Amino acid sequence: MQRRSLLKAGLVAGGLCSLPLAVRQAFAADPFTFYGLKSMSGAFASYGKYADMGSRLAVKEQGELLGRPLNYKVIDTEGNAGKAVRKVQEAIQQDGARFFQGCTLSSSALAVAKEVDKAGGVFMTPVGADEVTGKDCNAATFRWSVPTYGAIRETMVPLIKRLPEAKRWYTITPQYVFGEALLENAKQVCKEHGLEHVGNSYHSLQEQEFSGYLTNALAAQPDVLVLLNFGSQSSNALRQAVNFGIKERMKVLLVWSAGLDQFQELGSDVLEGVYLGAQYWHQVDTPMNRELVAATKAAYGINPNYPLAADYISTKVMLQAIVKTGSFDGPTVAKALQGLSYEGPTGSESIRAGDHQVIKDYYLLLGKAASERKDDDDLATVVSAGKSFPEVAATGCSLA
Amino acid sequence: MLSLYLLQIVNGLGLGMIYFLIAVGLTIIFGLLNFVNFAHGAFFLLGSYLCYTAVSLTGNFWLALLVAPLLVAALAWVVERVLIQRIYHLPHTFQILVTLGIALIIQEASVIIWGPVGKSVAVPAALRGVVVIGNFVYPHYRIFLIAFSALIALALWLLLERTRFGALVRAGSESTETVSLLGTNIFRLFSVTFALGVGLAGMAGVLFAPLRGAQPFVGPEILGVAFVVVVIGGMGSFGGALVGGLLVGVVQSVMTTLWPQGASLMIYGAMAAVILIRPYGLFGRA
Repeated sequence: MQRRSLLKAGLVAGGLCSLPLAVRQAFAADPFTFYGLKSMSGAFASYGKYADMGSRLAVKEQGELLGRPLNYKVIDTEGNAGKAVRKVQEAIQQDGARFFQGCTLSSSALAVAKEVDKAGGVFMTPVGADEVTGKDCNAATFRWSVPTYGAIRETMVPLIKRLPEAKRWYTITPQYVFGEALLENAKQVCKEHGLEHVGNSYHSLQEQEFSGYLTNALAAQPDVLVLLNFGSQSSNALRQAVNFGIKERMKVLLVWSAGLDQFQELGSDVLEGVYLGAQYWHQVDTPMNRELVAATKAAYGINPNYPLAADYISTKVMLQAIVKTGSFDGPTVAKALQGLSYEGPTGSESIRAGDHQVIKDYYLLLGKAASERKDDDDLATVVSAGKSFPEVAATGCSLA
Repeated sequence: MLSLYLLQIVNGLGLGMIYFLIAVGLTIIFGLLNFVNFAHGAFFLLGSYLCYTAVSLTGNFWLALLVAPLLVAALAWVVERVLIQRIYHLPHTFQILVTLGIALIIQEASVIIWGPVGKSVAVPAALRGVVVIGNFVYPHYRIFLIAFSALIALALWLLLERTRFGALVRAGSESTETVSLLGTNIFRLFSVTFALGVGLAGMAGVLFAPLRGAQPFVGPEILGVAFVVVVIGGMGSFGGALVGGLLVGVVQSVMTTLWPQGASLMIYGAMAAVILIRPYGLFGRA
């Protein structure tokens, strides 16, 4: 009898000791999934690849989240707003997804933002359309990148100061909402500084042949040619502008460049002497950027570029907001993000409560000659950096 | 203002010669083989990438101009022998489907091999700089393109009009059975013609690379331009490809001053106007 009692006591003791482990295992078996919306295929795959790398790096650094294993799942938006929305809806309805970061196209981001807001989730995006933190803002959506107002003011205004003799400015603009916003801001800056906007050539979103538009620009004899397009259109416009000898006749400003990967594609022959606006530059000396550069080199063997940095910091900020609140509830985390200040790759950054816009620097860079470069990625130097944002009341955003 | 339009017409003629080079291969293939090649833009893109690789390895653009089109033509010959020959007899719908599949394979393979980010090819050192005449500025490289395209046009005309091969191609475009019955290996003729047409697309890709770089998703845009030129000129017409190319180039260039945001659209407008008046194109046949 004593032996049986001893055995029973031992079993009970063993069971009691393993209870915390069993409970931990039961909860630890429920991982949390963070969703990255990336263009992994299609025309914007080059952007999506690096954006995905950025989010993965942030997730890996985080490790676990409030005691739960942290998973990361990529949703391939295919650079298509319709497909992006459908996949987000599926993730929300079938997988209970609530936390999303990414999107390459403004059209995708605007559509996704509505869905995430409806579901009570949180979405942070680097797209450029003013509407994201303007008239289409909502409680769930946050934007890291500087929109058109700041992009124009932090490139044109420093350039105006740098080139006091440059009075005649010509623009080449893609004719759609984003291009129009850049153009309106550019015209406003010209007006404020007493400059002459000598002409503008619109072009379609499919255009890749710019010889005609460059001929228009040359005929207008401006002091500065301002390119308001982006992506492959800006690369082709710049390449063809150099081919037409435009650099020898006027200064060139590309307001909305894609940063390092675009510069790597174009090379110093094209970039030398060209002024370039950028959301991020890997050589900017801030504590967080130094860490990001080191981490990216260790993980991927490359310097971080804009998509990588943008999605890295956005993912990191969202995850840390979850940790700070101790909650996986979307509205609770969104509220914690409002007014949040943190160290970002551009220095001190903060999320404005009124429109969920991150207040950060935008850069004016100057392309370097090949002979001046210290390494393969030393393609430009920082001329100016600063923060320019319209007042919340002027954005059209109402987050009451 | 008048001088600006004149400048745009001159620019348009230059652009038109480039478009002729893109489209002539497509019209040769359709003219003889009655085959709609929707992979034409993809072979153009392959030419651009092979140019980039050749220039990266050797630093010599002229070597790339020689080698890359030959490689593209060789690949086209293999594709024709293995796949295209089996579908000549099928309706055009099947030809479109198969060649679209080939185009997608080439495009995705390009992304895997060279990455999703485009590549730049520098203008050869000897052709850098511009010609300045008053307000008119025109790059040396584009002048070279015009001259080279004209040379290719002349060489093709001589090939098609003054050689036995050309006679067989022209005869075959009228009646392949007759040519076959006269003892010509019609399948070899088809293979060589297909390779020639696609090789010209590859050559256009090489020549375009310093202007636009090598981009993985440029194929559909190039295919669109090529078809517009061929439809305007008349499917299968060499002269039509030349006139169509020049017309498209001038329309596009003049429109960048007259209606800039509609410049790309108006090349399709020009196509619509031509086929309303002449449904088979300017030099086409029923």
